[in-house]
Amino acid sequence: MIKLENVTKVYNGDVVAVRDANFDIPKGEFVFLVGPSGSGKSTLLRLMNRQELPERGTVWVSGTALNALPKHRVPLFRRGIGSIFQDYKLLSNKKVFENVAFALEVIGKPKHVIRQQVPAILELVGLAGKEDRFPHQLSGGEQQRVSIARAFVNRPPILLADEPTGNLDPATSEGIMRLLDRINKTGTTVIMATHDTKIVNMMRRRVIELDRGFIVRDQARGVYE
Amino acid sequence: MLSRIAYVLRETGASLRRNLTLTVAALLTVVATLSLLGFSLLIQGSVGNLLVKWRNGVQVIVFVNPDASQEQIDSIKAALDSNQLVKTPVRFVDHEQAFEEFKRIYRGAPEVTDLVKPADLPTSFRVTPRDADNATVDAITNQVKTLPNVASVESARDVVNFVRTLSDFFRVATIVGSGVLMIASVALIWNTIRTAMFARRREIEVMKLVGATNWFIRWPFVVEGIIQGLAGGLLACGITALGNTLWRRKVVSSALFSDFQLLQATSAQFRTACIWMLAVGVVAGAIASATAATRFLDV
Repeated sequence: MIKLENVTKVYNGDVVAVRDANFDIPKGEFVFLVGPSGSGKSTLLRLMNRQELPERGTVWVSGTALNALPKHRVPLFRRGIGSIFQDYKLLSNKKVFENVAFALEVIGKPKHVIRQQVPAILELVGLAGKEDRFPHQLSGGEQQRVSIARAFVNRPPILLADEPTGNLDPATSEGIMRLLDRINKTGTTVIMATHDTKIVNMMRRRVIELDRGFIVRDQARGVYE
Repeated sequence: MLSRIAYVLRETGASLRRNLTLTVAALLTVVATLSLLGFSLLIQGSVGNLLVKWRNGVQVIVFVNPDASQEQIDSIKAALDSNQLVKTPVRFVDHEQAFEEFKRIYRGAPEVTDLVKPADLPTSFRVTPRDADNATVDAITNQVKTLPNVASVESARDVVNFVRTLSDFFRVATIVGSGVLMIASVALIWNTIRTAMFARRREIEVMKLVGATNWFIRWPFVVEGIIQGLAGGLLACGITALGNTLWRRKVVSSALFSDFQLLQATSAQFRTACIWMLAVGVVAGAIASATAATRFLDV
């Protein structure tokens, strides 16, 4: 599903964010990217949805080499990848329903599809009945659920999560993890960057550990350490 | 498709409201630019109408007797062509060409052109002197006046030359002014779009993440630029229409029964000027906003 071959990413000519990364993530896997801040976790995620291009090496996603992907094909490619973030990136002037519908609206989905898919996904993430709330009327955990709904409403085969529990208390984080686990069980490949030790240890999934851009550990059913 | 259009219009409207001051500034500059352009075109048209028979440096017009035969006309032409003061060959305007000219002058008044037949209009020679000074023009006038079968001779007086110089001056001045303002207009539209995109950067970020195409993201901004150009063009049309009406009522009407009543744009010329103003407005708005949107989209 996702394969990195000798990938090196350098920012501004001298800051090396990722050094010679190699790994292969099969379809349906759940992978944690762990490591301290600035170790290259976010950069790896940004390489996977073609927000960045590597200086050396090749990133393969769903059989496509992203270096060779023409710019005008990038939007279509991104429709196959959901992204969630520590700060949710919700639109504060839109209600819950509109925030999720927005993701379908802007890729040209017709109204009747939106009316059908948005309530279904809100049900799945546990927000049924909160369609008309604005983001500021929700708790952090609920806001992250909206963001997951928005990322997953188009049923992408890949979900990238950048510190999704970074702003949440442990109990709420556990709820978010159960939700991501459920999404993973539907066959979606989930790659999650985190430094939440407890969660990684609880889930016991594949762990790729980074340190200053190097991959220092790639372990099936790993813990944070 | 319908929901796409609704989406674009909704976003454009919201953006125009949000940026009211900048939008108004851009709009007024566009109006000034296009009004100047419009006035320039109207001046050009009016002066063209006034000086239609004096085009291409013609200084002397020799009207031929209506009953002159072809041989007699040819002998006038031979006399003119052999004149050392005259730039050869001289141009002969026959009945049909005279009628074309007449129709151009009275383009806006079919009630006049319907009454006149080509044969009613006198034929003439249009004479361009080698030197355009008054002495040469007078000399030519005096020489050809005495030729047989010449009905009358009309020469460009100082005032025609003055009008020509004056109109050239105003044309250059308005075009230059319009060009400078055009740069300001494009810069202001560009800035409006940049501000609008900055105000919506979070939405744009989300749109890019979920895979909206670049043109989908860009369209509302481009439409915003086009609307600014179009609105500016319409207002400019209104301003020039007002100016044109005032000119006709207050100035031209006082020149009744003289050639100067030709110094006005026909309604066809006004329409053409309006089309130009609208077209330039729309194209400038589209180009400014599309380049700004592409530049700041940064994909």
